[in-house]
This record gives sequence, C-alpha cells and structure tokens, in this order.
Amino acid sequence: MAAPDPIVPQTGSKQPGAAPPPATPGRSNEASSPMREAWGQFLKNRPAVFGLALLAVIVGLVLYGHFIFDADPYDIVWMPLTPPGEEEGIWLGTDFLGRDMFTGLMKGGAPTLAVGLSAALITVVIGITMGSLAGFFGGWLDDLLMRLTEFFQVLPALLFAMVLVTLFSPSLWTIAFAIGIVSWPQTARLTRAEFLRIRELEYVTAARSIGAGNGRIIWRVILPNALPPLIVSATLTIGVAILFEAGLSFLGLGDPNTMSWGLMIGQNRNYLLDAWWPVTLPGLAIFLTVFAVSLVGDGLNDAFNPKLRSR
Amino acid sequence: MADPLMSLRDLRVEFDTRHGRVTALSGISLDVMPGETLGIVGESGCGKSITALAMMGLVPNPPGHVTGGQILFQGEDITRAKPRRLRRLRGREIAMIFQEPMTSLNPVFTVGDQIAEAILLHQDVSRAQAEKQVVDLLATVGIPEPARRAKAYPHELSGGMRQRVMIAMAISCRPKLLIADEPTTALDVTVQAQIFDLMRDIQREFGVAIVLITHDMGAIAEMTDRVAVMYAGRIIEQGTSDQILDNPLHPYTRGLIGCIPVLGREAGDAASLPPLAEIPGIVPPLHLLGDGCAFAERCALADDYCRAVRPPLEEKGHPVACHHAGQGVPA
Amino acid sequence: MNDAPLMSVRGLTVDFPLGRGGLFGKPQMLRAVRGVDFDLAPGRTLGLVGESGSGKTTTAMAAIRLAPASGGQVMFDGADLMALTPGQMRQHRRHLQVIFQDPYSSLNPRDRVGAIVREPLDLMDVGDPAGRAVRVEELFTLVGLRRDQMALFPHQFSGGQRQRISIARALATNPRLIVCDEPVSALDVAIQAQILNLLRRLQGEFGLSYLFISHDLGVVQFICDDIAVMYLGEIVEMADRPTLFSRPRHPYTAVLLEAAPSLARRKSQGYRRQGIVKGDPPSPLNLPPGCAFASRCPQAQDRCRAEKPALRDTGAGKVACHFPL
Ligand SMILES: Nc1ncnc2c1ncn2[C@@H]1O[C@H](COP(=O)(O)OP(=O)(O)OP(=O)(O)O)[C@@H](O)[C@H]1O
Ligand SMILES: Nc1ncnc2c1ncn2[C@@H]1O[C@H](COP(=O)(O)OP(=O)(O)O)[C@@H](O)[C@H]1O
Ligand code: SF4
Ligand code: SF4
Ligand SMILES: [Mg+2]
Ligand SMILES: [Mg+2]
Repeated sequence: MAAPDPIVPQTGSKQPGAAPPPATPGRSNEASSPMREAWGQFLKNRPAVFGLALLAVIVGLVLYGHFIFDADPYDIVWMPLTPPGEEEGIWLGTDFLGRDMFTGLMKGGAPTLAVGLSAALITVVIGITMGSLAGFFGGWLDDLLMRLTEFFQVLPALLFAMVLVTLFSPSLWTIAFAIGIVSWPQTARLTRAEFLRIRELEYVTAARSIGAGNGRIIWRVILPNALPPLIVSATLTIGVAILFEAGLSFLGLGDPNTMSWGLMIGQNRNYLLDAWWPVTLPGLAIFLTVFAVSLVGDGLNDAFNPKLRSR
Repeated sequence: MADPLMSLRDLRVEFDTRHGRVTALSGISLDVMPGETLGIVGESGCGKSITALAMMGLVPNPPGHVTGGQILFQGEDITRAKPRRLRRLRGREIAMIFQEPMTSLNPVFTVGDQIAEAILLHQDVSRAQAEKQVVDLLATVGIPEPARRAKAYPHELSGGMRQRVMIAMAISCRPKLLIADEPTTALDVTVQAQIFDLMRDIQREFGVAIVLITHDMGAIAEMTDRVAVMYAGRIIEQGTSDQILDNPLHPYTRGLIGCIPVLGREAGDAASLPPLAEIPGIVPPLHLLGDGCAFAERCALADDYCRAVRPPLEEKGHPVACHHAGQGVPA
Repeated sequence: MNDAPLMSVRGLTVDFPLGRGGLFGKPQMLRAVRGVDFDLAPGRTLGLVGESGSGKTTTAMAAIRLAPASGGQVMFDGADLMALTPGQMRQHRRHLQVIFQDPYSSLNPRDRVGAIVREPLDLMDVGDPAGRAVRVEELFTLVGLRRDQMALFPHQFSGGQRQRISIARALATNPRLIVCDEPVSALDVAIQAQILNLLRRLQGEFGLSYLFISHDLGVVQFICDDIAVMYLGEIVEMADRPTLFSRPRHPYTAVLLEAAPSLARRKSQGYRRQGIVKGDPPSPLNLPPGCAFASRCPQAQDRCRAEKPALRDTGAGKVACHFPL
C-alpha cells in the first residue's frame, strides 16, 4: 500500500510544449559536493559521531600516548598482580609479571589496531574481488570462484591460522595475513549475493544501454549499491580480526616480541581467577574499539545512502 | 429504496507521518446498495484503498486513526464493534480481494489449504466437507481440473489463476459485500476480461454487492452501476456510471476521462490522433493541502475563489464539488 | 513504409538456459523468441503488443544486443549489429537508446539525476565538458523538468518525473531509435497522458523512430504507426495501425481488441463481452506442434493442431493463421 511519495508537487505544463513550470518551493536544491553532503549527514547521526569520537580517543591514545607516558611495557614496575589504584602511579595495576597494565594498553594498542585494520583490508580486497567477479560474470568463473571460496570456508579457520603462524614467524604481519586469508570467503559470498541481485535491476541494463562497459558497471553502478552490507561486514571484520588475534595470542601463538592487547589477554589468562584486571582491561579496550568502529560503519553506510538523506 | 448495505458517514481517517498528522480521508460519505456495483476511481494516493480498508475495519493502526464519522454495515457502526465481532464480519459478511494476487496468498501452503482454512474459520463444517467445498469453489471460479489445482502452491499458478483463487476464497462464505481493490491491475487485458466476467457471474449468482476500486474508466463503464470519483481524500463527484461518463461535471473527472487513450473508431483512421487531454502535475501530497480546492493547482478553471474556498459536494444534476462545475470544455 | 528501413530484424531467436541439468547435464533451454522478423522505418513507431511473457521485451532487448540472441540478423543503419565487436557496439549505442518500464528501478539510486542524464554524453565523448553541461540543461527543459532539480536523487521524484528523466537520458546522444519498453504502464492514467504526449512531441521534433512495447491497445493506437502482435515468442500479425484496428485478421488480435477497455461498453446497456479467450497460454517449454494459439482459439480446427501456420502476406499486412478472419 506504499503509495508513491511525490515530494515535489509539480505544476506541469498545461500544453504540451509549454515552458517548464516555475520553481516550486518546499525543497532545497543545493548542489554541494557529495562528500560534504555525506559528512553533513554523518554529523546528524549521533551514535556515529559518538563512535567517531571514541575511536579518535582510542587511536590518539595508542598512537600518541607514549609521548606523554613514555615507558617500556616489558619493564617490571611493581609486585605482580597489583590491583588498579592500589599503588601511586600504577593506576591500572600490574600483570602477572608485575608489568604496568596502563603502559601495556598504551603500547599494545597500535599493533592490535594495525592487525585488525590490515586483516580487514585483506579480507575486503580479496572478498570483494572474488565476489564481484563471480556474481557479475556468472557461469564457469562463478563455479570456479565459489568452489575456491567453499574450500577456504570449510578450512578450520583457527587451525589454518595456527599452521600459517607456526610455519612462518609469528609476526604481526603473518597473523594479519592469516586472519585475512581465512575470513574473506564470507565477504565474497555477501558480495556475490548482492551482485546477483543488483545485476538484474533495470538500471544496470540502462547503464549498458548507454554504452557502459563491464568495468564501469561493476565499479560505478553495482558496487556503490552493494556497499551498505559490505561496509557493515567490513567493520565487523575489523572486530573479528582483533578478537582473532587475541585468540591466537591466547593460544600462545601471538608474536611475543610485540606487545598487543591480545597478547596481554593470552599471557594473563591463567591468573584470571586471582585477578580480573589483567585480562578484563585489554578485553574492555578491544570491546570499545570494535564498538566504536561498528558505530562509525553504520554511520558511514547511512551517510552514503541518498535515500536516507534529506529527511 | 432499500436500506444501504454499507454506508460511510462523514468518515475521517488520519495518519501519523514524518510530516506530522495528515488527513487521508476528510469526510467521505457513500452508500453501497445490496447487489449493486459501486466504482471508486481516482489517481493513486487519493484514498481509494484506505476507503476500502475502512469498510473492513482494517485501517492500519498505527499509523492510521479513524478520527470521525461512522462506518455502518447493515446499520451497525463497525467503528464501535468489538474485535471479535469485527473478525466475524470480515470474511463472512465482507470479503476483499487485492491488487497483487501473489503477495496476498501465503507461499508455503497450497491454495486448497488456504481456502479450506477460510471456510473452517467461519463455518461449522468438518475438514473433509471444507475440502469438498474447496473443489466446488475452484470450479465455480473457472479453474480447470479443480481437484488437482487445489493441491498447487501459489507460485505454480499464473496471475489470473491466483486472482481466481482469491475470489474463490472471498466468496467461500457467501459474503454480502465484496471489495475488490484494483483486482486486475497486475493482469493482462485478456485475463482482466476473464476476471470481470467471473465477477459479474458471481454477482448474478450470489447477489453480492461489489465495490470496485480502479483507475480505469473502461472498467467503470463495463462493470459498475454507480461511481464515486475521489481526489485527495474527498469524493469530488458522484453519480450513476452513465452520468459520470457521459456528463462529467468536475474538471478532474473530465480530465481523467479525456486522458485515457481508449480504443475508438479513430484507431481505424489513417490520420494520427490528436494529443491526449492532460491533467498537468501530480496529486499534491496530503501535508501540503491548503484551505481551497485541492485540485486548484492542476485545474484550468481555477481562480482565486477556488484557491481560497473549498467547494462543498453539492447537487448540480448529480453531486459534485466544484465552484465552476460543468464549465469549460466538456470531456 | 517506402523508406529503406532503419532497423531490419530477421530470424531473431533467443534462448534462456533454465537452471543447470546437474553438473554435467545439458542445460534445458527456454526459447523465448522464435524467429522474429520485422522492419522499422525511420521516423515511424513500431508497436510490439502481446500478453505478459509473449517475448516483447526479450525481442527488443535482443535486437539491440542488451540480451544475448542465439540466432538471427539485425541490420541497423547499414551495420550488422550481431557482427560488431563489443567495442564497436558500444559506439553504436549512441544511436540506440532505451526507456524502461519501471521508473523506480531504471535509475541508479546513488547518482544525481543530472549525472544520470549526462552519463551517456560522457561515455560517448560527445562534445566538450562545458557543452555537455549545457546539453543536460537543455534536455531537462525539453522533457519538462526544472534545471534546479538536477542535483536531486531519483527517489526525490514521482514516477512520472522519473520517466521524464529516463527520456532525457535516452535523448542525450541524439539517437535515431529509442526502444520504449512499456514506458507508461507503471504510471497513473493522468501521468500516462503527459508522458505519451511528450513522447509524441519529441518524435515529431527530432524525427525519432520508436520500437514501442505495450500491452495496452489504447496506448498503441495512440502512438504507433505499425503494429506487430506477439504470441509465445512469435509475431502472429503485423500491419499498419488503421488496417490492424479496422480489420484484424488473426483471431488472437481480435480477442485482444475485444478485451481492451472502452468507454462505449456499458453495464447499464447490458454489455456482455462476446468472444473472451479462455485459459492461459501454454507453457513455452511445452509447445504444441501446430499453431501455438490453438488451445485458446475460437476458430481452431484439426489442421491448426497439426500444422504450424507461417507468417504470410495478406496484401495489407502479414498474418500467421490458417483461417484468418
Ligand atoms: N533472464 C531470463 N531467464 C529465463 N527466462 C527468461 C528471462 N527473461 C525472460 N524470460 C522468459 O522469456 C519469455 C519472454 O519474456 P519477456 O520478458 O520478453 O516477455 P514480455 O512480453 O516482455 O512480457 P511482459 O509484458 O511481462 O513484460 C518469458 O517466458 C520469460 O519467462
Ligand atoms: N500506512 C500509511 N501510513 C501513512 N500514510 C498512508 C498509509 N497508507 C496510506 N497512506 C496515505 O493515505 C493516502 C491514501 O492512500 P490510498 O488509499 O492507499 O490511495 P489509493 O488507493 O487511492 O492509491 C495516501 O496519500 C497515502 O500516502
Ligand atoms: S473548484 Fe475551482 S479549482 Fe476546484 S475543480 Fe472546480 S474550478 Fe477547478
Ligand atoms: S491457425 Fe487455427 S488455431 Fe491458430 S489462430 Fe489460426 S485459426 Fe486459430
Ligand atoms: Mg490503492
Ligand atoms: Mg516486458
């Protein structure tokens, strides 16, 4: 029953061929740049702005925090497992070796974010490429790529990542790569499904009818319309990657030479019953980061969707 | 004259929208006599479907509210009826068929099951009896091999067959009033002709009154006894179908009739046809309606008086709401 | 019809694969268009009419290579479209444009309408950028939209206005032929008249040819010069407008005319439709050996069920029927 929503009450031409109708009030037709409009829309989305602010604080702290509180996260500063606030200057307590939690969180943040971001990037690049090719061209290419996707999807992700990390050095980059390799199939499937749906819509045929080639149709027509679920899934992937890294570290497969939130959780896990903070605090940091990223992702999605604009 | 089967008395329906509260129906009054066919025409968004839903007591709430007037079915005001009473009326006394027969059938049950369900809901019969009735009904609505088709799922039937199934379901309890909201808009002309034929047969056989909602003046001509023309939530002209088609008084009705390229003798002439009459512009959105005539923005006869004062529905040969009714070029 | 045709289609055939017959099975094919021939003269409008699923859209789209044809030849303005490389075909698209049925799905929701109308000019490298901007404004005026609406998105327009945008896009490159696939059937009657008048005015102004698809004979009568009636992927009758409407020869055409709405058929005068056609068309997967219309034809005889009628000249047009009316 959704009656069309004619917003612009147009006084049409009375005679065919008459001059176009005069401008009607009621709708602003400002033609600012798309970016600026999207940004304006983003700013109207309170949760997204909150997420962006939170993310800015986190990123600011982990990138620039050490200019203020410079210390070595491996230094043993006090008694092991000192609770937060008990000792002057050790606000967040110490871990099982007596290292300062606060310094650890500061220094461990950057590698964690880097792993999350690069893994998500790898996932998105491989996933969108595979998914869009499969969905757009169909046929044997689709078959081939989907078999490949299934192969990677049935791989036990954690096991595969463990193998990769043990075979190569357990550096952050190996970890990011391993996470990317095991998580792209989901993005690929999502992309493919969106491409299959949008490919059939008339505006794609319309683009072809004015002479657009395959590349243009994939990039300029279908992909922008397929983005909303992909953006959401990419932000989720950042979260998943961060957690995955924590999982690997938890299993003792993290890079022991680079402090990260995952490593902190992994190394302190055996003392969880004695002290909650060495595990919970990095966990909270991960949670807040993932939360902020997903709020921003939602906001981006809405900001770039013209239908939600100008409401 | 007999008592009307269904009467709307000064019905008002309002909706909560992002533009605030808007009035979708502002004071609709009409009668449906037993056994007749009443047509309701107008462009989309004029309130035809809401009028139909109101007759069923089905105005979607939220966001809709019936804020005034009465809906009388055989003298009983259904705006005051208890939910239980309403459910009894629906399906049993008043039935409805919709525009899109695909989306109004449940895809996961066979059509036979769905009709049987409707029967069991309103009649005190056994499952086996209901199933037998289903086959009879499918035969009545002209479905070949009714026993086999009863076991089909909606997607296995063509659009025309699905609409026949909807009609079978609607007449399963011998309702007194059948409301058909653009029942053939999604169908081909050949199938539309079949469905119209079926509706006429059913009316003759069961004496059911039909409210036919359409935007097609051809359908009005061949199917209806009386017509109400709606614009922006009001009835702007009302009369017998011949009065409306042969002597339309409202500029909007004239436009509607003039703008359809109906088949005529001219089709056989070699000269190309003159341009169609145009109603310029579009139906104004409800939240932008002012105090004057809602059609003024699109009306060739509009003057300052029209824009300031809303014309009431007055008897001018037949009821019409226009200050300059009957003036200007006839359709 | 004495001009050399602008477009000339011979033996056009289109098959769609139906799912896969298992991993190694041969896919089953649905033949949606079965050997269609027609000529379209410059400056004229050829109507394709027929029921839903009769193959109107597929025929038109295959003729301009927006759907893959599995056989047949299409000559357009001296070029054999089927023989062109994809790159050459893209160049030809400047002369061949389309207006689609659904004004809600034929415009990319993420683009501004100004950019939508401009896109063909950019793709075809027509003129310089400043000239394109002027052209877009010109087109907006031409189709009855305002220039200040160029920065809006498609969802901010009503159905009729969106169809005007589609028309502006189709006109942008000064095409010679526009395929109109039911351009008004999704619109309200009042809006339909606006668009039909606009299409006719533009045809007169620019000497356009239209391949006009519709299932509404009223609309066809208003806009078409020649009409081809399709049934199950074939043309069953073809004639110019006066001939087809005054003297339909194929029983299916007669049935369509009888079913078309008209103000003259009044319930008050006890109107009852005479020859309404029974049932639905047979499945295109399972066609009878003889005339495809035989299962519903009031005139059908034994010969019809055995032997397939060919499209023959009748002097005034063409008809595919053993016993034309
Ligand atoms: N992409 C496709 N894959 C498979 N079958 C198709 C496809 N497109 C069309 N068909 C089939 O081809 C036949 C003709 O379809 P087409 O869309 O050309 O009909 P049409 O005459 O344009 O109908 P309508 O009036 O509904 O638009 C139908 O049987 C249809 O189911
Ligand atoms: N659920 C709803 N919420 C808000 N407005 C509605 C709703 N349903 C209908 N309307 C409004 O009520 C008016 C009449 O609608 P409707 O009766 O469906 O029109 P018609 O059937 O004549 O096309 C329209 O302007 C429509 O936008
Ligand atoms: S009242 Fe005035 S504006 Fe309204 S329809 Fe009549 S003449 Fe037109
Ligand atoms: S060939 Fe026979 S069945 Fe076919 S249309 Fe002609 S008369 Fe009818
Ligand atoms: Mg409606
Ligand atoms: Mg079609």
